[in-house]
Amino acid sequence: MKIAVASGGLLIASVLFLLSGCSSPPEKPKVYTVEIKDMKFVPEDITVKKGDTIIWVNDDIVTHDITEETSKAWSSGPLPAGKSWKHAVTDEASYYCSIHVVMKGKIELE
Amino acid sequence: MKTLKNLTMCLAMSSTIAVLFFPAPASAQSKLTDPEIASIAVTANQVDINQAALAKKKSKNAEVLNFAQTMTNDHKAVIDQAVALVTKLKVTPKDNATSQKLLADAAKTKAALQTKSGTAFDKAYVDNEVAYHKAVIGVVEGTLIPATQNAELKALLQKVVPALKTHLEHAEMLQKSLNK
Repeated sequence: MKIAVASGGLLIASVLFLLSGCSSPPEKPKVYTVEIKDMKFVPEDITVKKGDTIIWVNDDIVTHDITEETSKAWSSGPLPAGKSWKHAVTDEASYYCSIHVVMKGKIELE
Repeated sequence: MKTLKNLTMCLAMSSTIAVLFFPAPASAQSKLTDPEIASIAVTANQVDINQAALAKKKSKNAEVLNFAQTMTNDHKAVIDQAVALVTKLKVTPKDNATSQKLLADAAKTKAALQTKSGTAFDKAYVDNEVAYHKAVIGVVEGTLIPATQNAELKALLQKVVPALKTHLEHAEMLQKSLNK
Protein backbone atom coordinates (compact mmCIF):
# COMPACT_ATOMS: atom_id res chain seq x y z
CA MET A 1 0.00 0.00 0.00
CA LYS A 2 2.79 2.34 0.98
CA ILE A 3 4.55 1.47 -2.23
CA ALA A 4 1.41 2.29 -4.24
CA VAL A 5 1.05 5.74 -2.61
CA ALA A 6 4.72 6.45 -3.17
CA SER A 7 4.45 5.38 -6.79
CA GLY A 8 1.39 7.59 -7.30
CA GLY A 9 3.24 10.59 -5.83
CA LEU A 10 6.22 9.93 -8.04
CA LEU A 11 4.00 9.75 -11.09
CA ILE A 12 2.32 13.09 -10.32
CA ALA A 13 5.71 14.69 -9.69
CA SER A 14 7.00 13.29 -12.98
CA VAL A 15 3.97 14.55 -14.89
CA LEU A 16 4.33 18.03 -13.33
CA PHE A 17 8.04 18.03 -14.18
CA LEU A 18 7.34 17.04 -17.76
CA LEU A 19 4.58 19.64 -18.09
CA SER A 20 6.83 22.36 -16.77
CA GLY A 21 9.52 21.19 -19.14
CA CYS A 22 7.18 21.33 -22.12
CA SER A 23 5.95 24.91 -21.56
CA SER A 24 7.91 27.57 -23.46
CA PRO A 25 10.33 29.68 -21.44
CA PRO A 26 9.37 33.29 -20.82
CA GLU A 27 10.17 35.50 -23.81
CA LYS A 28 13.09 37.84 -23.49
CA PRO A 29 12.16 41.53 -23.78
CA LYS A 30 12.77 42.81 -27.29
CA VAL A 31 14.34 46.02 -28.50
CA TYR A 32 12.64 48.00 -31.25
CA THR A 33 13.88 51.04 -33.15
CA VAL A 34 11.84 54.06 -34.21
CA GLU A 35 13.65 56.31 -36.65
CA ILE A 36 13.01 60.04 -36.60
CA LYS A 37 13.39 61.01 -40.21
CA ASP A 38 12.05 63.79 -42.43
CA MET A 39 10.14 65.15 -39.43
CA LYS A 40 8.24 61.90 -38.84
CA PHE A 41 8.41 59.00 -36.39
CA VAL A 42 8.99 55.87 -38.48
CA PRO A 43 6.96 53.80 -37.80
CA GLU A 44 4.39 56.19 -36.34
CA ASP A 45 2.53 53.35 -34.61
CA ILE A 46 4.44 50.53 -32.97
CA THR A 47 3.07 47.46 -31.17
CA VAL A 48 5.24 45.89 -28.47
CA LYS A 49 4.94 43.88 -25.25
CA LYS A 50 5.18 45.33 -21.79
CA GLY A 51 8.86 45.33 -20.81
CA ASP A 52 10.14 45.73 -24.36
CA THR A 53 12.41 48.65 -25.10
CA ILE A 54 12.07 51.23 -27.86
CA ILE A 55 15.05 53.18 -29.11
CA TRP A 56 14.34 56.42 -30.96
CA VAL A 57 17.13 57.51 -33.29
CA ASN A 58 17.16 61.10 -34.51
CA ASP A 59 18.25 60.96 -38.15
CA ASP A 60 16.96 64.45 -38.87
CA ILE A 61 18.94 67.67 -39.13
CA VAL A 62 17.16 69.34 -36.20
CA THR A 63 16.65 68.57 -32.51
CA HIS A 64 13.52 66.64 -31.52
CA ASP A 65 12.12 65.15 -28.34
CA ILE A 66 9.85 62.24 -27.50
CA THR A 67 7.23 63.19 -24.93
CA GLU A 68 4.23 61.28 -23.61
CA GLU A 69 1.30 63.39 -24.80
CA THR A 70 -1.54 62.95 -22.32
CA SER A 71 0.14 63.84 -19.01
CA LYS A 72 3.78 64.37 -19.99
CA ALA A 73 4.51 61.26 -17.90
CA TRP A 74 7.87 60.79 -19.60
CA SER A 75 10.08 62.67 -22.00
CA SER A 76 13.45 62.23 -23.61
CA GLY A 77 14.31 65.90 -23.27
CA PRO A 78 16.00 67.54 -26.26
CA LEU A 79 17.44 64.90 -28.59
CA PRO A 80 19.95 66.50 -30.97
CA ALA A 81 20.51 65.25 -34.52
CA GLY A 82 22.38 61.96 -34.55
CA LYS A 83 21.51 61.02 -30.95
CA SER A 84 19.22 58.28 -29.64
CA TRP A 85 17.07 57.67 -26.57
CA LYS A 86 15.58 54.48 -25.16
CA HIS A 87 12.49 53.85 -23.11
CA ALA A 88 11.26 50.64 -21.47
CA VAL A 89 7.57 50.30 -22.25
CA THR A 90 5.23 49.93 -19.29
CA ASP A 91 2.01 51.05 -20.88
CA GLU A 92 0.30 52.13 -24.07
CA ALA A 93 0.98 55.74 -24.92
CA SER A 94 0.41 58.49 -27.40
CA TYR A 95 3.51 60.59 -27.74
CA TYR A 96 4.67 63.61 -29.71
CA CYS A 97 7.60 65.94 -30.27
CA SER A 98 6.96 68.92 -28.01
CA ILE A 99 9.28 70.99 -30.20
CA HIS A 100 7.37 70.20 -33.41
CA VAL A 101 3.93 69.57 -31.96
CA VAL A 102 2.45 68.18 -35.18
CA MET A 103 4.82 65.17 -35.04
CA LYS A 104 2.99 62.33 -33.30
CA GLY A 105 3.44 58.63 -32.57
CA LYS A 106 1.73 55.81 -30.73
CA ILE A 107 2.85 52.83 -28.65
CA GLU A 108 0.37 49.95 -28.48
CA LEU A 109 0.60 46.76 -26.44
CA GLU A 110 0.14 43.29 -27.89
CA MET B 1 20.17 88.66 -63.11
CA LYS B 2 17.89 89.11 -66.07
CA THR B 3 15.97 86.11 -64.87
CA LEU B 4 15.59 87.50 -61.42
CA LYS B 5 14.01 90.63 -62.84
CA ASN B 6 11.45 88.44 -64.48
CA LEU B 7 10.63 86.68 -61.28
CA THR B 8 7.17 87.78 -60.35
CA MET B 9 5.72 85.44 -57.82
CA CYS B 10 4.01 87.57 -55.28
CA LEU B 11 2.66 86.39 -52.03
CA ALA B 12 -0.29 88.28 -50.62
CA MET B 13 -0.31 88.37 -46.85
CA SER B 14 -3.52 87.41 -45.13
CA SER B 15 -3.13 90.02 -42.44
CA THR B 16 -2.48 93.72 -42.55
CA ILE B 17 1.21 93.00 -42.58
CA ALA B 18 3.08 94.23 -45.61
CA VAL B 19 3.03 92.15 -48.74
CA LEU B 20 5.96 89.77 -48.90
CA PHE B 21 7.44 89.21 -52.29
CA PHE B 22 9.38 86.12 -53.11
CA PRO B 23 10.94 85.48 -56.48
CA ALA B 24 9.21 83.18 -58.89
CA PRO B 25 10.88 80.15 -60.43
CA ALA B 26 13.72 80.99 -62.71
CA SER B 27 13.26 80.65 -66.41
CA ALA B 28 15.01 77.95 -68.36
CA GLN B 29 17.32 80.48 -70.03
CA SER B 30 19.08 81.66 -66.91
CA LYS B 31 19.69 79.77 -63.71
CA LEU B 32 20.84 80.75 -60.30
CA THR B 33 24.37 79.63 -59.49
CA ASP B 34 25.22 77.50 -56.48
CA PRO B 35 26.89 80.43 -54.65
CA GLU B 36 23.71 82.47 -55.22
CA ILE B 37 21.53 79.59 -54.06
CA ALA B 38 23.64 79.20 -50.92
CA SER B 39 23.21 82.90 -50.21
CA ILE B 40 19.43 82.71 -50.69
CA ALA B 41 19.19 79.66 -48.42
CA VAL B 42 21.15 81.27 -45.62
CA THR B 43 19.28 84.57 -45.96
CA ALA B 44 15.86 82.91 -45.97
CA ASN B 45 16.71 81.07 -42.76
CA GLN B 46 18.16 84.18 -41.14
CA VAL B 47 15.04 86.19 -41.98
CA ASP B 48 12.89 83.73 -40.06
CA ILE B 49 15.29 83.73 -37.10
CA ASN B 50 15.02 87.54 -37.00
CA GLN B 51 11.20 87.42 -37.04
CA ALA B 52 11.30 84.83 -34.26
CA ALA B 53 13.53 87.12 -32.19
CA LEU B 54 10.89 89.82 -32.47
CA ALA B 55 8.16 87.37 -31.47
CA LYS B 56 10.14 86.27 -28.41
CA LYS B 57 10.42 89.92 -27.43
CA LYS B 58 6.79 90.90 -27.99
CA SER B 59 4.59 87.84 -27.45
CA LYS B 60 3.34 86.49 -24.14
CA ASN B 61 1.52 83.52 -25.66
CA ALA B 62 3.26 80.27 -24.61
CA GLU B 63 2.42 78.47 -27.86
CA VAL B 64 3.65 81.35 -29.99
CA LEU B 65 6.82 81.58 -27.91
CA ASN B 66 7.39 77.83 -28.29
CA PHE B 67 6.95 78.13 -32.04
CA ALA B 68 9.33 81.11 -32.21
CA GLN B 69 11.97 79.17 -30.25
CA THR B 70 11.57 76.22 -32.62
CA MET B 71 12.05 78.54 -35.61
CA THR B 72 15.19 79.94 -34.00
CA ASN B 73 16.70 76.53 -33.27
CA ASP B 74 15.72 74.80 -36.52
CA HIS B 75 16.72 77.60 -38.90
CA LYS B 76 19.99 78.05 -37.03
CA ALA B 77 20.65 74.32 -37.43
CA VAL B 78 20.05 74.65 -41.18
CA ILE B 79 22.35 77.67 -41.44
CA ASP B 80 25.05 75.81 -39.51
CA GLN B 81 24.80 72.89 -41.93
CA ALA B 82 24.79 75.18 -44.96
CA VAL B 83 27.83 77.09 -43.71
CA ALA B 84 29.67 73.85 -42.94
CA LEU B 85 28.88 72.58 -46.43
CA VAL B 86 29.90 75.71 -48.37
CA THR B 87 33.09 75.86 -46.29
CA LYS B 88 33.85 72.27 -47.21
CA LEU B 89 33.03 72.93 -50.87
CA LYS B 90 34.99 76.19 -50.81
CA VAL B 91 31.95 78.02 -52.14
CA THR B 92 31.42 81.63 -51.12
CA PRO B 93 27.73 82.52 -50.94
CA LYS B 94 27.07 85.29 -53.42
CA ASP B 95 24.71 88.10 -52.65
CA ASN B 96 22.09 88.52 -55.36
CA ALA B 97 18.85 90.24 -56.16
CA THR B 98 16.79 87.49 -54.54
CA SER B 99 18.61 87.54 -51.23
CA GLN B 100 18.52 91.35 -51.23
CA LYS B 101 14.80 91.32 -51.87
CA LEU B 102 14.28 88.84 -49.06
CA LEU B 103 16.04 91.19 -46.66
CA ALA B 104 14.15 94.24 -47.91
CA ASP B 105 10.79 92.52 -47.54
CA ALA B 106 11.74 91.20 -44.12
CA ALA B 107 12.50 94.75 -42.99
CA LYS B 108 9.04 95.87 -44.12
CA THR B 109 7.39 92.95 -42.37
CA LYS B 110 9.33 93.63 -39.19
CA ALA B 111 8.33 97.29 -39.25
CA ALA B 112 4.67 96.33 -39.61
CA LEU B 113 4.92 93.78 -36.81
CA GLN B 114 6.58 96.33 -34.54
CA THR B 115 3.41 98.42 -34.58
CA LYS B 116 1.32 95.60 -33.11
CA SER B 117 0.98 94.16 -29.65
CA GLY B 118 -0.87 91.44 -27.72
CA THR B 119 -3.12 89.11 -29.68
CA ALA B 120 -2.93 91.35 -32.75
CA PHE B 121 0.84 90.85 -32.81
CA ASP B 122 0.52 87.08 -32.28
CA LYS B 123 -1.95 86.77 -35.16
CA ALA B 124 0.12 88.94 -37.46
CA TYR B 125 3.34 87.08 -36.66
CA VAL B 126 1.74 83.67 -37.20
CA ASP B 127 -0.05 84.79 -40.38
CA ASN B 128 3.30 85.97 -41.69
CA GLU B 129 4.93 82.66 -40.75
CA VAL B 130 2.25 80.72 -42.65
CA ALA B 131 2.68 82.89 -45.74
CA TYR B 132 6.47 82.96 -45.51
CA HIS B 133 6.83 79.19 -45.18
CA LYS B 134 4.44 78.60 -48.09
CA ALA B 135 6.52 80.95 -50.22
CA VAL B 136 9.85 79.46 -49.15
CA ILE B 137 8.67 75.88 -49.76
CA GLY B 138 7.51 76.88 -53.24
CA VAL B 139 10.82 78.51 -54.08
CA VAL B 140 13.02 75.78 -52.60
CA GLU B 141 11.10 73.01 -54.39
CA GLY B 142 10.37 74.90 -57.59
CA THR B 143 13.55 76.91 -58.13
CA LEU B 144 16.46 76.24 -55.82
CA ILE B 145 16.54 72.43 -55.85
CA PRO B 146 16.14 72.11 -59.64
CA ALA B 147 18.81 74.79 -60.24
CA THR B 148 21.40 73.44 -57.78
CA GLN B 149 24.37 71.78 -59.45
CA ASN B 150 26.29 70.41 -56.47
CA ALA B 151 24.81 67.12 -55.23
CA GLU B 152 25.53 67.80 -51.55
CA LEU B 153 23.95 71.25 -51.64
CA LYS B 154 20.95 69.79 -53.47
CA ALA B 155 20.67 67.03 -50.84
CA LEU B 156 20.76 69.58 -48.02
CA LEU B 157 17.99 71.62 -49.64
CA GLN B 158 15.94 68.44 -50.12
CA LYS B 159 16.49 67.54 -46.47
CA VAL B 160 15.25 70.97 -45.36
CA VAL B 161 11.89 70.71 -47.16
CA PRO B 162 10.21 68.33 -44.63
CA ALA B 163 11.25 70.68 -41.80
CA LEU B 164 9.75 73.65 -43.65
CA LYS B 165 6.52 71.71 -44.22
CA THR B 166 6.34 70.77 -40.55
CA HIS B 167 6.88 74.43 -39.62
CA LEU B 168 4.03 75.38 -41.95
CA GLU B 169 1.72 72.77 -40.41
CA HIS B 170 2.66 73.99 -36.92
CA ALA B 171 2.04 77.63 -37.91
CA GLU B 172 -1.33 76.76 -39.47
CA MET B 173 -2.33 74.94 -36.29
CA LEU B 174 -1.45 78.05 -34.27
CA GLN B 175 -3.29 80.24 -36.75
CA LYS B 176 -6.48 78.23 -36.23
CA SER B 177 -6.07 78.35 -32.48
CA LEU B 178 -5.54 82.14 -32.46
CA ASN B 179 -8.57 82.74 -34.66
CA LYS B 180 -11.01 80.79 -32.47
